[in-house]
Amino acid sequence: MIGVSLSRWTMSYFTIALVALLGAEMLMVAGFGFPSQSIVAPQTLVLVHLIAIGWLSLLISGALLQFVPVLVAKSLAYSELPIVALAFLVAGLAGLLVGFLALAGFSVGSIPWLTLGAICLTVGFVLNIWNLGRTLWSARPIGLPAHFVAAGLLSLVGVITLGTIFSFALGGWTTNPVLMRLTAQGIPLHAALGLGGWLTFTAMGVTYRLLAMFMLSPEAEHRTSQIALVAGAAAILVVLIGGPVCLLILGQGLTHPLLVALVLAIVSLSLYGHDIVRLYRTRKRRKIELNARMAAWALGSLGLGSLLLLVLTALGEIDRFVGAIVFLFAFGWLTGLGLAKLYKIVAFLTWLECYGELLGRRPTPRVQDLVDERRAKLWFWLYFASVGAASIAAFLGAPLAFRVAAFGMLVATVKICVELVSARTLRLVPPTLLPQGDRARPGLLRPSLQHSRR
Amino acid sequence: MTQAPHELDVRPILRAGGEPFTAIMDAVKGLGSGQALRLLATFEPVPLYGVLAKKGFDHAAREVGGGDWEVLFTPTSAAVAAQGRPGKPGGENAATPGWPEPLRHLDNRDLEPPEPLVRTLAAVEELQPGEVLSALLCREPVFLLPKLRERGHEWQGAFEEDGKTYKLLVRKGTGKEAAA
Repeated sequence: MIGVSLSRWTMSYFTIALVALLGAEMLMVAGFGFPSQSIVAPQTLVLVHLIAIGWLSLLISGALLQFVPVLVAKSLAYSELPIVALAFLVAGLAGLLVGFLALAGFSVGSIPWLTLGAICLTVGFVLNIWNLGRTLWSARPIGLPAHFVAAGLLSLVGVITLGTIFSFALGGWTTNPVLMRLTAQGIPLHAALGLGGWLTFTAMGVTYRLLAMFMLSPEAEHRTSQIALVAGAAAILVVLIGGPVCLLILGQGLTHPLLVALVLAIVSLSLYGHDIVRLYRTRKRRKIELNARMAAWALGSLGLGSLLLLVLTALGEIDRFVGAIVFLFAFGWLTGLGLAKLYKIVAFLTWLECYGELLGRRPTPRVQDLVDERRAKLWFWLYFASVGAASIAAFLGAPLAFRVAAFGMLVATVKICVELVSARTLRLVPPTLLPQGDRARPGLLRPSLQHSRR
Repeated sequence: MTQAPHELDVRPILRAGGEPFTAIMDAVKGLGSGQALRLLATFEPVPLYGVLAKKGFDHAAREVGGGDWEVLFTPTSAAVAAQGRPGKPGGENAATPGWPEPLRHLDNRDLEPPEPLVRTLAAVEELQPGEVLSALLCREPVFLLPKLRERGHEWQGAFEEDGKTYKLLVRKGTGKEAAA
C-alpha cells in the first residue's frame, strides 16, 4: 500500500522502555552499579544492560517500527511481528539481568539465565531487524536517513552476535579458545557497536528527518551528510570486522581498530554537528517547540561527550574516565534526545489515532492541545541540570553526589512520564473535543486501535 | 501501424545509486507517435505515474520477480477528448485525464506537520463528489494518503521536477468509505 499507518505496537515499546528507565534511575539512586561500584562489577552490568536494552534499545526499536515506514513511504513488512519480538526482548532482558545477578553472587537457582536471556534477546532483535530490513530493502533506493538506520541495524547484528558469544562463554557452554579470547577482550567492541553504531548512529539518522520535519528546515542532501554517513558506516565496519580480525587472526590488541574507528566516528560526528546547526539555522519556523529546544541540549551533550572522548584518548586517560563518558552519552545525549522526542511523538501518534477519522468532519484539538509545554519545560530543565551534575560527579569520582544528582534525574523523569501519560490519555483536551467510543481511551500498553492496513 | 514499445531498463542506474528521471524523460521525448514505453525498475515507480499521466500516458504495472517492476506506459490519444468524463476508479492508480480542473488550490508547503494533513482533509470535506482540489506539499504525505483512501477519495500525487514540491490532486469520492 502507498502511505503509512500507525505502528500498532510502538506505544507498547515506549511504555516498557520508560519503566526500564525509571528502574535504572532508581538503581543509580540506591547506589547500585557504577559509579558507586566498580565499572566491571556484575551490578554495573545489570545497570548498563537495563539502560542499553530495556530503555534505549526498546525506545529506538519502537520508534523505528513507526519511523522507518515514514522514512521510506512504505508500510512495515510485517505489522504484527513487533509484539512477538517485544515478548522475546522483555523475557530475554529479564533472563540476562538475573544471569548477571547470579554472577554478583545472588542465589537465583541453577537455570542458565544468562545464556537463555541472550538467546531470547537475539531472537527478539533478529525479528525486528528482519522486519525493518525487509521494509528498507523493498523501498530501494532509500534516502540518507534510512541509510543511517540500515548501518545502525548492521551494527546491532554485531552487538547481539558478540553478546551471545559472551553469554555462552560466561555460562560455561563453550571452551573454544577463539570464543574465550573474544569474550576476554572483545567487550570494547560490543560496547562501541552498541552505544556508537546501533544507538547513536541510528539516532543521528532519525534526527536528520525529525528535526527538519518539525522545524520546517530545508531537507536537501548535502555532501557533508553523505560524508558523515560514509565515515560513520566505515567506523562501524572497522569495529565489526577489523576488531575481531586484529584480535583473532593477527593476534594483536584492539588499540588500532578502536583508534581508527574513533577518528572516523569523530569525522562523522563533526559533519553531523555541522549539518544539525544548519538545520536549526535555516529553519522556517522561528519559534520552535519544546521538543526541538530540548533536543538541542541532547545534541550539545553529544558534542561535549565526543570532545571529551577525543581529548581523554589523546591524553591516554580514557580508561579512567570511560564510565563517566558513557554516562554522558547515555543520559545527556541518548536519553535526553529520547525524552524530548517522545514528548512530541506520543502526542502526535495519540492525536492521529484518536482524531484521524474525525479530521475535517468535526472540530478537533491540535496536537499541541494535548500537552502543556510550560509545565513540562521545568521538568526537562531539571532533567538536564541533574544529568550535568551527575556527569561531573562521575568524572570526579564522587558517588554520593552522583546519587543525589541521580535523584534529580529520577524526579524529572517521573514528572516527564506523567506529562506523557497525560498526553496519551487526552487529559488536557476539553470534554467537548474528546472523541467518542473506542477511541476515547487509548491504552498505554495495548496496541493502537487503528490497524495497519496493507 | 503502431511501433513496438521502446524498452528502457533503469535498474543499472538505480543500483548504482543514480537518478534515472532524466533518462526516462529523454526516452519519453524520443518516442514515436502512439509508441509505448516499457520501463524496468527496481521498485514500482509510483511518482512517475502522475508525471507521465500529465503527458497523456496510461500505465500498467506488474512485478516481475526479485522486487523488480515492469511498467508499460501507453499514450492515450483520446486523453484530451476525454476531458469531463469521470476518471478511472482505483484510488492511487487514477489518472488525471478525465478529471475536472481543480476547484481549490492549497499551498501547504510552509505548514508544520500535521497541519498539511488537517487542512487538506478539511478542504476535501467541503468539495462536492467528483470535484477536485490540488495541494502543494513539501514532502510525500505518508499519513494523508491512507486517510484519503479510507474515505473513498481518489488521489494522485508526485514530486514536481524540482524534487522538492509534492503536488497532490484529490477527487472527492461519492461518500462511500472504502472497506477497511
